[in-house]
Amino acid sequence: MKEKTDHPLHQEIAKIAVLSPNASRLLEINSKPDHSLNDIIQLVKFDAALTAKTLRIVNSAAFNLLQPINSIDRAISFLGERMIVGMVIAESAGEVFQKGLPGYESYPGDLWRHDLFTAFASREVAKYAKEELEKELAFTAGLLHDIGKFVISSHLEGTAEKAVKVIDSGEASDYLNAEVQFSGHHHAELGFELAKHWKLPEAIQEVIRYHHEPSKALECYKPLVYAVHLGDILAMMSGHATGSDALQYHLDGAYEDYYVISPVELTKIIADTETQFRPALTSLDNSQEN
Amino acid sequence: MSDIVLGIGDFGVSNDPNATIKTFALGSCVAVVLFNPALHAAGMIHIALPEMKVNPTRAKERPGFFADSGLPLLFGAMARIGCDKKGKGLKIKLIGGASIMDNNEIFNIGKRNLIAIKKLLWAQGLGAVAEEVGGTISRTVSIHVGTGEVRIFSPARGTWTL
Ligand SMILES: [Fe+2]
Ligand SMILES: [Fe+2]
Repeated sequence: MKEKTDHPLHQEIAKIAVLSPNASRLLEINSKPDHSLNDIIQLVKFDAALTAKTLRIVNSAAFNLLQPINSIDRAISFLGERMIVGMVIAESAGEVFQKGLPGYESYPGDLWRHDLFTAFASREVAKYAKEELEKELAFTAGLLHDIGKFVISSHLEGTAEKAVKVIDSGEASDYLNAEVQFSGHHHAELGFELAKHWKLPEAIQEVIRYHHEPSKALECYKPLVYAVHLGDILAMMSGHATGSDALQYHLDGAYEDYYVISPVELTKIIADTETQFRPALTSLDNSQEN
Repeated sequence: MSDIVLGIGDFGVSNDPNATIKTFALGSCVAVVLFNPALHAAGMIHIALPEMKVNPTRAKERPGFFADSGLPLLFGAMARIGCDKKGKGLKIKLIGGASIMDNNEIFNIGKRNLIAIKKLLWAQGLGAVAEEVGGTISRTVSIHVGTGEVRIFSPARGTWTL
């Protein structure tokens, strides 16, 4: 990936705190095609705070276990790699996800809910890929796809009404285009800059950069980018959006080159996503208060 | 003022004239809003999908998530506060069922929700007196139980009545 340090907002982005070493290592493991759950278990085990938090989450009311789980191995097997990723990202980049987005007339927590739903939805979509796809990576990429909204929000303040007007009138083709008209940037582009600052794995950088224009992604990453493209749309359809840009994007029908999803399967994806999303949201929220 | 806030797959009814029933951010989901002007009773359901068969466990946990498992329960709850069991005398309004831009048939779940809901209503000889459906906007909807006024809000587009 080419290093570009001359971005006009480079200074501003460079000020955003980098991810914790643990979070970076976790994302690195997560993006390796041949990794196992055991690699995740080893990482968690070496961090006492993370171990304690994992046990607290698995035994929280949201999961309604009959018997408490006391072993960290069993806790991680039960929760899955995705919940560890969710936990670590929420902790390491909480500032990015939990703040309101005034540029989108969106409230604190909206971005986190949108991203968490997108993560589960992208992972469900990945199950319908024509060629096997790393599902846990689809989750992580879904979770991180909109980090650029955190960066662009202050540059969009006061533009939400104008943005939907130019979209309705056809002067802007979608919200991404409206963002460019009013700020000179769009959230996928700024997300990509933040992804480079955070040194995220290349596959995730590509998702962040092209989740609204998946046809532009490198061929090898297209299945992953399309998974998140669809996961994002399903989140907006399901009411988990971030304010004024809800549904103001295009669906790229070329996803059918990589996915076979029937109408009934799509409704199943939504129902299954909602089922997993709820306890995850509650248990991660509670753990942040601690 | 007491507010009843419904999440996705929830339904609620009230005959407290000071109450408001509200649900947030309908995308492809559809809110069915009921009002009995004679009794000042109102009800609402936030439906996400047409048919419960795709996830029966979810339907058990939250029957209002699906049109076919949810609607009968909404009418049942209205009956418990004095309305006609078959829905006679109810003014029905439908809100939501939107889609993403360039929607294709497979992703048009909003439209499929609306068709499923209308079919279920027709089967009872019922129909909507007003609807604001489709398009590509997110809608938050509320009904004031005392007056039956239905309000719709969309981010950056303001509030209006239906
Ligand atoms: Fe986005
Ligand atoms: Fe998004």
